[in-house]
Amino acid sequence: MNWLSGMLIGLQEIREHKFRSFLTMLGVILGVASLLAMFALTAGIAASWRNTMEQLGGLERIGISDKQVSLEFADLAALSPGRTLADAEALRGIPHLVSHVAPEMQAGATLSASDGATVSARVTGTWPDNFTVSQHAMAAGRFLTDLDLQRGARVVVLGDAKVAELWPDEHGTDAEFLGRTITINGRPFAVVGILALYEREQDRLRREAAARGDKPPARLAMGGGRGGGRRDMFSWKNESVIVPLTTMYHEFRSGQADTPPLAMAKLDYLNFRVRDLTRFDETLAEVEKLLRGTRRGVDDYDFDTREDWFERMETSLRSTQLSGALIAGISLLVGGIGIANIMLASISQRVRELGVRLAVGARRRDVFLQILAESTAIGIIGGLLGLGAGVVLLELLGNLAPLESPPVIEPSAVLISVGFASAVGVLSGLYPAWRASRLDPIAALRYE
Amino acid sequence: MTSSPDAPPAVDLHDVRKIYGTGPDPVAALDGVSLRIDPGEFVAITGTSGSGKSTLMHLVGCLDTPTSGRVSVAGEDVSTAGSDRLARLRNRSIGFVFQAFNLLPRLDVQRNIELPLVYAGVSAAERRRRAAAAAAQVNLTDRLTHRPSQLSGGQCQRVAVARALVNDPALILADEPTGNLDSANGADVLRLLATLHAAGRTIVLVTHDPAVAARAARVVELSDGRVIKDAAT
Repeated sequence: MNWLSGMLIGLQEIREHKFRSFLTMLGVILGVASLLAMFALTAGIAASWRNTMEQLGGLERIGISDKQVSLEFADLAALSPGRTLADAEALRGIPHLVSHVAPEMQAGATLSASDGATVSARVTGTWPDNFTVSQHAMAAGRFLTDLDLQRGARVVVLGDAKVAELWPDEHGTDAEFLGRTITINGRPFAVVGILALYEREQDRLRREAAARGDKPPARLAMGGGRGGGRRDMFSWKNESVIVPLTTMYHEFRSGQADTPPLAMAKLDYLNFRVRDLTRFDETLAEVEKLLRGTRRGVDDYDFDTREDWFERMETSLRSTQLSGALIAGISLLVGGIGIANIMLASISQRVRELGVRLAVGARRRDVFLQILAESTAIGIIGGLLGLGAGVVLLELLGNLAPLESPPVIEPSAVLISVGFASAVGVLSGLYPAWRASRLDPIAALRYE
Repeated sequence: MTSSPDAPPAVDLHDVRKIYGTGPDPVAALDGVSLRIDPGEFVAITGTSGSGKSTLMHLVGCLDTPTSGRVSVAGEDVSTAGSDRLARLRNRSIGFVFQAFNLLPRLDVQRNIELPLVYAGVSAAERRRRAAAAAAQVNLTDRLTHRPSQLSGGQCQRVAVARALVNDPALILADEPTGNLDSANGADVLRLLATLHAAGRTIVLVTHDPAVAARAARVVELSDGRVIKDAAT
């Protein structure tokens, strides 16, 4: 007698007592369903956070910000030129650690399209590397090039929301806006690129559903189907007006009385991208060394990393997972006790049968295996039914209240859930199986 | 299975004692029993309730081991065997027929007859073939797919006999096989046992009923744990 034939006997036993077996499995079914739902919900949250994170530049993106100079350097503070293009040039000197550098100068400006509207905006002058550092994606056209930078070309890349603001009555494809001329503070610029629309996962799903006509386009009406007008963590990207840094400097900064030369021009932002995350700390140390040089020893800089943010996210996910797992675990435990209980009852109902099996040559381990296989079968079937119940539960949750982040059922979650259910089946069968295997054949045959 | 001169005895008991309970008042269910049953014999073991015949049956059936003395079944000393070895002997050497039939209610006739073969590790196809052959010997070929609840008592006992036969054991051990049957069906089962004996099977019949015991070729009578009579009929 092997495991498989024990399983078959178990399955037959389950079939003979469908309702009782179902009640026995209920604990496992609910446990697996809640385990799966919990995994799917947290995986959904994690996926949308990761998605957001990536669109914002990922862990690799580090900003250099200002800091209050510490007391010991207070006297020297005036010596530091602050955050300038010299910092950016210095960062370019360690390409093995820093892959991309994106200095930014910003200025408020008035944008005007001759065939559209006049709006105000923040214009950003930057390097072509900004494309990678900020994880931009093009909807149409191109981003800035080195040539644009060298020539101080009057070209502009617009965010999706800005296009919607400038030409509110046009709903054509992005490509239609390429090559048009807008004025920035009265100077003409050619539109060479349109950035993709950045949005949260749930917004994208909602928009797509609306486009298919599944649901009324609830909050999407603004901006004519574009992401315009809404405020979220992607607004700064969607409302981008990007020109070459040199153009920015020459057209809007220089010419004023106390303008420093380009190399010493103050930057509003300086972001860079770490080449290799495994050398994160080394990279920061190296960058710090460079900055001590450009800032003349004054510690007026700080690093803005996404690490804290990422850690906070991981911690909150973990605690959600933990509480979910606790509930599911208790449910599985109760399910296991239920299986053990029913198996014990079923054994005392079947003492005679076990006696006969022993009389015709079943060894103790055969009986043990038979009972264990039966409880394992209950666990596995309960687990599979639980998967179904979990999917239904998620569907119901999704229908009752649209989720912030759509749940994601990962294969590993399915494996873990069914694995737990099987383990519960095995564990809860151990004691009943041991009891059954200790039966005395003579007493068992006489049992009424 | 026919007897040959140098075949080991089917059952050989030598000065066997079985004592139940310890302490001041132990009970000797068997008190120095010696008994030899050769292959091909048809022996009835009889005695009143409490005579020790059930204990003897348990020892011969490898369900239990003696307190002292030696028990051999099919030439194998089982006096000190552990539970796995006893299980193997029950499986290979003994075919049980019980008073209460002891069929598994949820298995059909075929699967009931196959049961010893399952624990002997016989393949499914071979099991089916041998179960069909055993069913033919008890005239139940047309009932293979029935469940025990769909059969009469006499038919159930014939299924039990087929189950006892299927593994070709050294002896068939029938414990009050007619006890739950009316006289016609009881006679039917006894006729079946006699037929099997005639075909060379070794049969040990445990009964309290002298009329049933009289069907055997040899009667061993027990009283107070001792053999008080051992004679051919």
